[in-house]
Amino acid sequence: MADHPSDLRTPLSKVRFLGSARMGTNEAWLIHLTSLALVPLTFSFVWLMLDLLRKDYNGVRGELTHPVPAILLLAFIFAGIVHMELGMRSVIVDYIGGQSRAWALAANTCFAALLALACLYATLRVAFT
Amino acid sequence: MASSDALPGSRRPRPLSPHLSIYRLTMTMAMSIVHRISGVALYFGVLVLAWFLIAASADASTFAVFSDFIGSFIGRVVLFVVTWALFHHLVGGVRHIIWDAGYGLDAPLRDQMAWATLIGGFALTVFVWIVGLAIR
Repeated sequence: MADHPSDLRTPLSKVRFLGSARMGTNEAWLIHLTSLALVPLTFSFVWLMLDLLRKDYNGVRGELTHPVPAILLLAFIFAGIVHMELGMRSVIVDYIGGQSRAWALAANTCFAALLALACLYATLRVAFT
Repeated sequence: MASSDALPGSRRPRPLSPHLSIYRLTMTMAMSIVHRISGVALYFGVLVLAWFLIAASADASTFAVFSDFIGSFIGRVVLFVVTWALFHHLVGGVRHIIWDAGYGLDAPLRDQMAWATLIGGFALTVFVWIVGLAIR
């Protein structure tokens, strides 16, 4: 890319698309933050599920009306699904290109959002009734 | 390098990092791949949690359908695989946090940590299943 006096291209056009678009740091920060939060939250989740999976319908509902297990479960769902959405985003970007990438990214976000809403709604419904 | 006569503003091919076809398989590489596979498994494993919570928020007969599934052989297998994926991904995540902090990157330790991820993931899974089956 020698600079000929007759070269009409601007310096900007020569460096565009060669480096970072400065959009990735927030994503990287969030996936690290949620991973850190999920270390204790996963243990509390497994602890809770060990208890819940041996209970019947009324037992499960009774347990989730207590604030501490319900709040820890909500935190696990929230951090977990944000983490999962970001993780799948990096998988999609690695393997899928072109037009289908945008569709895959949109489907990923919609799936994660719907799953999060369903899990949070169901947990809150049990907790408050 | 991409051809320099590309139209101004058009997208040049992005640089790719060399991976599977370039380097022979190492333990850290294998655990990197398994970390991603277990993450994708959890992505769909959350559906089991969603089913459980939605069933619990509905009526007793809806919950019974979930209970029958999770108590069945296939349900147990799915739950075991999800438990393993969760613990493997958890231990692998802790390893990545340690590496991100700049520790454990030297030659013997990084492979030992990769082995510890594999063994730790299985050990936690088996431990939790023993506890789960003992208290039911």
